[in-house]
This record gives sequence, C-alpha cells and structure tokens, in this order.
Amino acid sequence: MIEALQFEFMRNALFAGLFASLICGVIGTFVLVNRLVFLTGGIAHATYGGIGVALFFGIPYVFGTLGFSLGAALIMTAVTMKAPQRSDTFIGVLWAVGMAIGIILIDLSPGYNVDLMSYLFGSILAVPAGDLWWMTGMGAVTLAVTIYFYRDMIAISYDVEFARLRGVPVHLLYFLFMALVAVSIVFIIRVVGLILVIALLSIPPYIAEKYAKSLGAMMVIAVILSAVFNITGLWVAYMLDLTSGASIILMAAAGFFISLAIDLLISRRRKRAAAQSRAENSPACGCGL
Amino acid sequence: MGEPVITAEKVFFSYDGVPVIENASFSVAEREFLAVIGPNGSGKSTLVKLILGLLRPDSGKIRVFGKSPRKNSHCFGYVPQDVAINRSFPISVIDVVLMGRLRHHGSSRIRDRDRKSAVESLERMGMAGYENRKIDDLSGGQRERVFIARALTTDPDILILDEPTASVDTGGQAELYSLLRELNRTKTIIMVSHDLMVMSSSVTAVACVNRHVYYHDQGEITQDMLDMGYQCPVELIAHGQPHRILKTHEDES
Repeated sequence: MIEALQFEFMRNALFAGLFASLICGVIGTFVLVNRLVFLTGGIAHATYGGIGVALFFGIPYVFGTLGFSLGAALIMTAVTMKAPQRSDTFIGVLWAVGMAIGIILIDLSPGYNVDLMSYLFGSILAVPAGDLWWMTGMGAVTLAVTIYFYRDMIAISYDVEFARLRGVPVHLLYFLFMALVAVSIVFIIRVVGLILVIALLSIPPYIAEKYAKSLGAMMVIAVILSAVFNITGLWVAYMLDLTSGASIILMAAAGFFISLAIDLLISRRRKRAAAQSRAENSPACGCGL
Repeated sequence: MGEPVITAEKVFFSYDGVPVIENASFSVAEREFLAVIGPNGSGKSTLVKLILGLLRPDSGKIRVFGKSPRKNSHCFGYVPQDVAINRSFPISVIDVVLMGRLRHHGSSRIRDRDRKSAVESLERMGMAGYENRKIDDLSGGQRERVFIARALTTDPDILILDEPTASVDTGGQAELYSLLRELNRTKTIIMVSHDLMVMSSSVTAVACVNRHVYYHDQGEITQDMLDMGYQCPVELIAHGQPHRILKTHEDES
C-alpha cells in the first residue's frame, strides 16, 4: 500500500475516499435516522438526467447534475411532507424518469457516449486534483451546517412535533438538510459512483447506530467505519487488480454482515444467560418467574 | 378558577374525508386538571393535536390565551405518547431533555443555563444521575419521566400529556398523579387516557371524546357521561365514595 501511494492517482483516490467518508458519515447519519435511504437513492438516480442534459445542451456537467439532484430532492421532500403514505411510489417514479431522461438525451447527443458503468461505480482511480478541492469545500460546508444546527437536527429527527412546538422552523431545516444531501451526492457520485454513494450513506451509519449513544457519536463512528472500508477496499483492489468501487462496496458489505453476526451472538448469549438465571432462581421463589 | 386559557368553538376535523372530531365546543379554565377520556380511535390524540396547533381544524376556532395555538406554542409543555417515538434513535437522556430548551433564547444554541435547567427537571422527576444513559436502555416508566422532564424544562403554562400511564406500573401511576397534582397548583394540565383509571381527586374536569366532545367541568364521571361518550368496559375510581362501574360490551354475549 505504501509504495502504491507513490502514484499521484493513488494518493488522489485515497483522499477522495476519505473526503467521501467524511461527507457520507455525517449526511448518512441524518439520512438513516430519518429513514430516507430510499429517497436518497431516488435523488442519486435522478441525477443521471442531469448528465444527459449537460451533454445534450453542452453545459458543464456540474450545473446539469446539481440542477437535477436539487430539483429531485425538493420535489421528493415536498411530496414526503404532503403525502407520506404514497411518497415511496412517487420517489420510484422520479427515480426512473430521471434515469430515462438521461439515457434518451445521451442517445440523442452526437458522438461521445458516457459510460453508464463509470456513473454507477465511479472512477475513484481517475479523480482529478480539482475535484478534491470541490470535495474539501463540500466537506467543510456539511460540517459547518451540521455543527451549527446540531440541536435542531436532533430535534426534527427524534420528535418533529415537539420541535415544531418549540418554534424550530421544521420545514425550512428539512429542505436545507435535503439540499445538503443532494449537493453531496453530486460530488461524491463523480468520484465513487452512485452505487457506492448509497452503500456508504447507509451501511456505516447502520452499524454505528447500534453502538452510539448520541447522534454526534454516530456520525463520528460512521465516518471512521467508512474510512476503513474505503482504505481496505482500495488496498484489496490494488493488490488483486480489481475494480476499486466494487471492492470498497464489498468491504462495506462484509462489515455489514459481520455486525449482524455479532448482534446475533450477543442476543443469543443474553438469552442463554437469562434462561440460566431463571433456572437458578425458580426453585427458590417457586413462582417460575 | 380564572379566565379560560383554551377555548374551542364549533371545531370540525377529518382525515381523508373521515370525520374525527365533530362540532367540539368547550373552554378550559386556568389551572384546570382536565382528563380527556374515550375509547381507542375516538379522536383523543387528534383533539390534543388540534389544541397544540399541530393540526388545523377544517372549520371552527381554537384559541390559546386569546391567540391561535401556533402563535402561543411556547405555552405548551407536551408529553407525547411513548409509542410514537423512534426507539432505536441514538440519543442520551440529557439530549432529550435539552430539546425542551430549543429556541429558548431565540437561537438554536444551548447554553450552560439550559443544561442546568435540564438537570434540575430530571432531578425533580427523580431521574438524577441518568443524564448520560441511552434513552432506549430505560424502562417505560423511566422514559415517561424523562419526557415529562423535557416538557417541564420549557417552563410551560399548560402541560399536555398523551397517555402518560400506558407504560407505567400501578405504583408509578400513583407517584405520577401526586406529581401532577403538585404541578397543577401553578399549571393547567390536560391528560389523555384510554384506560379510564382516573383519580378523580386530582381531576377537576373531564372531556369524553367519541367524535363529539362532551365536556364536564366537574371531576366526576357519571353513568350519563359514560353512556354518551364511552361504550366500552370501564373501570374508574370516583371522587368521594370509591366505586367501580363495569359495563360490558354490547356486542359481547
């Protein structure tokens, strides 16, 4: 691994992975505790429409995807607020429509065709240094907003009705956080691809939630976990000459299943201990409890 | 009892065209201890959310200290139903209580003062020393006390509790009632309950909800009220001579 870092593209890949971990750990925690993984998947997929628009009209990639992801985020969030019981259908529709628009517009664009695979799995080994600056900026903004609104974020995620009674501008903050999710997705997809974004947004916070005592702790654990998945994934990809994005996802998946197995062991042991103490105590009290 | 703190005038509310509250008119006096009773799905929680301003009536008017509930939402200390809260959420007891101090000074920052107030509320509820425990690790009764502490730390004029005794054992209920009686000296209290274990010695008014709202400004539950509002087996302890009324379901043989 150390000798691999002599290559600039390897160093860039490592930094990109670490910045993605920072953003995903913080944003992913918000997404997970609010049960927005599906909505986030919808936003991520709908941004493909933005790639098509950018290509077809010859505008910079960033404007097309940012426009689509922000638009999708606003519409989906508004629908989720208005009609929560039907929002999943609506998200599914926008998800598909966004991708279809992207594919059709790329079909219609003359000449050059964007590779769908690089959109899905990213190209972390080909991250240009310029993108690292964008990600640094995004990471700083995400952290600043989260720290400033930390208490509000806890309140609207944990008990939105109570937050509203306290005068917290619930809708405004919800849109603000979703806009943050949308912008983060755009920059992270560029380097790690859409499937890795969803994996990094959901797996590390899911594992972290079980061990964290606070939302902040959950964010820190999620960032560390996703950094570990990124580094080990990159290392495996380098050693075995595999696709880096897919390797990182498999590392995260391994972490996911290991944590499930540990949970199972712990709950079994607890049950056994409880059964044992019941067996020891019941003759004495005779009540069977 | 002084001026009414809450007035409702011909309030109607429906979910997706299904009427939930119909033509509710009543007024709650200052330092009233109001028990809101009624069977499951009768609209008790809906009525409470209308009062809180979390829901808007289809028609009719609700006023809290003369203003719309939304404008006076800082007057309420709200203790929601335990089951309505996301249980796996990673949050410590102190962070839950600190929610009560949000926007207390107009900003989202929490100061030392707020922390002190939160700790005091926990002490008052007998939950000192639990500050850094994860809320999910507490028992139902302990969680209830934390939610009441959170409501108290907002320094409310009106305390609203939705089914506070649902997850509390009998001993805990007696303790809860004595605490509420004490708080009632300075605060108006509205308490939703479906099991009708109403301690009438604390309660000064009863609202029977079954789509319609029957308001009685006496802390007694009469057979008439039960016939109007309540069509379930009920168990109650009334003021003065303790007695039980057990009424069976009509559709049961």
